[in-house]
Amino acid sequence: MSENSKQSPDAPTPARFQVSRFTLLADTWMGRLIRFGGVSVVVAVLGMLVFLVCQVLPLFSGAKLESLTPVTFEKTAVGFGEDEYGELPFTCDAAGKLEFRHAYSAAGAAAGVVTKTWSPTLAPGQKVTTIRTYPRDGLVILGLSDGNILEVKVTYKIAFDEKGGRTPQPQIVALPAQQLGKKLLPCLDVWSVKGPNGHMVICRQQEAGHDFLTAARLTEKSGMGGPVVTAGNAFSVASDIPDLERVFVPSTADSVIVVRKDGEVRVYTIEEEEVSFLQSFKPFASLPDSRIASAGLIFGNVSLVVNSFNGVEEVWSIYPQVQSNGQTQRRWGKIHDCEPLAGAGQGIFPAVGNKCYLTVAGGRMQIRNMTNGSLRWDAPAPAAEIQQVVFSRNYDRLAVLSADGVLRRWSIEDHHPEASWNTFFGKIWYEGASAPAYTWQSSSGADEFEAKYSLVPLLYGTIKGTFYALLFAIPIALLAAVYVSQFLRPELKKIIKPTMEVMASLPSVVLGFLAGLWLAPIVDANLLPLICLVAALAPAALTAGFAWSSLPQPIRRKVGPGWEFAYLIPFVVFCGWLAWQAAPMIESTFFSVKDLASGQTISDFREWWRQNSGWSYDSRNSIVVGFVMGFAVIPIVFTIAEDALSNVPDALVSGSLALGASRWQTVWSVVVPTAISGIVSGIMIGFGRAVGETMIVVMATGNTPVMEANPFNGMRTLSANIAVELPEAAVGQTHYRALFLGACCLFALTFIINTFAEILRQRLRERYKVV
Amino acid sequence: MNPSASRIKVQPATESEGRKDYIRIQDFGFWYGAKKALDAISLDVPERRVVAFIGPSGCGKSTLLRNLNRMNDLVDGIRHEGDIQIAGRSIYDPGIEVISLRRRVGMVFQKSNPFPKSIYDNVVYALRIMGVTDRAVLDEACETSLRKAALWDEVKDRLNDSALGLSGGQMQRLCIARAIANRPEILLMDEPCSALDPIATGKIEELIHELKAQFTIVIVTHSMQQAARVSDRTAFFYLGKLIEYDTTEKIFMNPSQAQTEAYISGRFG
Repeated sequence: MSENSKQSPDAPTPARFQVSRFTLLADTWMGRLIRFGGVSVVVAVLGMLVFLVCQVLPLFSGAKLESLTPVTFEKTAVGFGEDEYGELPFTCDAAGKLEFRHAYSAAGAAAGVVTKTWSPTLAPGQKVTTIRTYPRDGLVILGLSDGNILEVKVTYKIAFDEKGGRTPQPQIVALPAQQLGKKLLPCLDVWSVKGPNGHMVICRQQEAGHDFLTAARLTEKSGMGGPVVTAGNAFSVASDIPDLERVFVPSTADSVIVVRKDGEVRVYTIEEEEVSFLQSFKPFASLPDSRIASAGLIFGNVSLVVNSFNGVEEVWSIYPQVQSNGQTQRRWGKIHDCEPLAGAGQGIFPAVGNKCYLTVAGGRMQIRNMTNGSLRWDAPAPAAEIQQVVFSRNYDRLAVLSADGVLRRWSIEDHHPEASWNTFFGKIWYEGASAPAYTWQSSSGADEFEAKYSLVPLLYGTIKGTFYALLFAIPIALLAAVYVSQFLRPELKKIIKPTMEVMASLPSVVLGFLAGLWLAPIVDANLLPLICLVAALAPAALTAGFAWSSLPQPIRRKVGPGWEFAYLIPFVVFCGWLAWQAAPMIESTFFSVKDLASGQTISDFREWWRQNSGWSYDSRNSIVVGFVMGFAVIPIVFTIAEDALSNVPDALVSGSLALGASRWQTVWSVVVPTAISGIVSGIMIGFGRAVGETMIVVMATGNTPVMEANPFNGMRTLSANIAVELPEAAVGQTHYRALFLGACCLFALTFIINTFAEILRQRLRERYKVV
Repeated sequence: MNPSASRIKVQPATESEGRKDYIRIQDFGFWYGAKKALDAISLDVPERRVVAFIGPSGCGKSTLLRNLNRMNDLVDGIRHEGDIQIAGRSIYDPGIEVISLRRRVGMVFQKSNPFPKSIYDNVVYALRIMGVTDRAVLDEACETSLRKAALWDEVKDRLNDSALGLSGGQMQRLCIARAIANRPEILLMDEPCSALDPIATGKIEELIHELKAQFTIVIVTHSMQQAARVSDRTAFFYLGKLIEYDTTEKIFMNPSQAQTEAYISGRFG
């Protein structure tokens, strides 16, 4: 029995074994601090991911419509209009009588109080024969029985009471009647368009069973007693259109689209007062029932959505087409097949400001987006026939007037009608394009421009930039790592390794600056010599190696191990110089082309490339980017790979050498496999750097979102895209969220690749782990 | 002294007597930079015999061993004088590739160093780098080598498993199998059993007896018992000098130098 075991368990621990309270406390608290730090990092990364996803998710939610109290009007209402906030809608009946009702509160709407009525003053014998309302313009246009038209303008003045409450008060101005159509024939239909090309009215009349359209341009001036409208010459648009059913007049007032009862669409163009027939097409010619059930001209005036009685819906648009005579002209053609409808089409009502439309069919009302085909909203349609549908200018309210006089109203919450999976990742046939394409074009000068948010060109650009960078960087970095770790003199290695590590910290903006402003012009001016130079390097090095190994031992032994490069460098430099000098000869021998401008034969590789590859040549191109981005990537890959290679135990190297392997065999069969997991890590970290690299690409690629494998043009990468466009994207808008979606893609891309690489690395490490 | 030593001497001597001076070391001096590691060593190793190098740490025995296949070439600032001849030809002859020298002179290291590859790949490594691709040849060489290394029965069912899954003793025998797969003439062993337990050591020692019939073996060891058990001749080094070189029996029973005697009887080392 020893002395210690005799002590009772309760005896105090001798002071020399006691741990100070401070040590224990510090240990506990440092443990907690470190744990807190670790958890914070995880939380921060997850938080970033959650933030990105939260920014992106709204893009993929459909429209949310909230029903507002419907307003009930007379059943005789045929059209309606409303003020900017939808507080005081009015209807007009067949006689042109306007009736305003409260809708600024749910109670007021339910009460249906009539606040004002108004009827047109007509000359004796005149009758209203047709009526059309343009709610968003506050315009009611009446066609009269004698061929006159009467424009009525409704504007709202807002009156404020003492409490600050606001009351819209309608102001109605009837412009003097204008003789437009043939005298004494009733107007059967009237249209009015106001656009950049002025104000035009068109009326339809019928004589001896034939429909004809007459148009006139109106000029409006403010006079003493109100606006004075003068009509220009009335001119015939189409004098004889059998079975005319509908007419669409684009707001540009430069054409008229006529739909006939048999389903034929005719398009006339108007230049000043000259009308010419452009084209006719029959969208449903192949269906048993070729009639068009309903049609609507989508905002932007170049696309017509048509549907049939079988529930087929299509979009036709005008875009450049190659004609039989070989010329390219803008003609109408089908660009989309929409999702089938629930039944026969009953009406198509376009929104204003975007490419959405409400389509009514088979008892359903659906808001669809014309461009990407997405379904925004789906609801049961009112039982009564729908007379008129109005989307507010901001696409935040929807009002539907049905034949039972009920004006149903919704508030719309759909901030991203143009967004869908298809928009970002699908091939989309945009208006004006000749074919479906992946397009990124987020802004333009025109208001009616439809932003194009395909991420595919950006993903392509990212992969392309990364590919060229790695193509350049990986071989150099890995070969350098192998050389430095296995062959180079230790004293030189002590210099080279830290130098490479310093290179890794070169700010990429400096590299980008050098690439864009210094290197690109040099490459541009000496393209072929540089290609020859690079092409000559590898063969030169290999030849040098071969020549070296054929030298007899005694000569070779004079060069100390690790100094062989001193012999290699002059040889390679000489070969490079030779290649550089030979380039002009090669250029004139193989790359002579006829200059398109001067007609002379010139020797220019760039021109040759343009003419023979079918691709373009830009001075800010993938080669330059790959080269400079490679510079950013090489140090990282080199450092990690070199560490991994240097850490291969000497015992393995000696083992291999002792078995009679050459140094190269040892490196290839033992050192590299053993270090492979570190090498893979290095490559993957280099890949991550290249994928996420921003400044170099922003400054040296030209940022063109094109999808071409062409090494001699630029690209736009996801990261560069975010850097370039985020400052001009409005927070919360589709553009803004699309950029965040790009960020998500970038995140996903690196995440997937890194996960894959990590799995690979673990496997390799398991397989090649060293005892 | 060591009773087993005498027993071993009565090995079935396949007395197809080879050259007495198969490896001839003549006045060999060696420097690491300014430090002289070996001083005027001269000794002859007879063919198909086991020669043990013994001596205290830093006495130069490993340096000399590593010079026999020129593994020291990789070290910076080395210099040598004198000559080493194998089968009558200097290993420093400019016409001799160091690679071919190493194919002739195999080596087993102190710490087993199997490559992180399969057992099979380890054994046929030397053949593969010589350019042998014929699977049948490789298979045959693999089996022969493993049998010679007394490892075949233990690993024949898992040739494609990683060599790193073997036990320490198995790994060392694998390294021996790997070293003899391309049929070298000389096998250098640098303290092959220093990291092994007694059972594994026993197996390796038995193996050395078997291999003696085919290979000339030079073994560096710290264990005098081992030297006594396995070797035919023993060289005792001290401070870079060869103190005594004679038959093992003589060295252990009746050394002619006082230093040898002191070392063997454990008075220093």
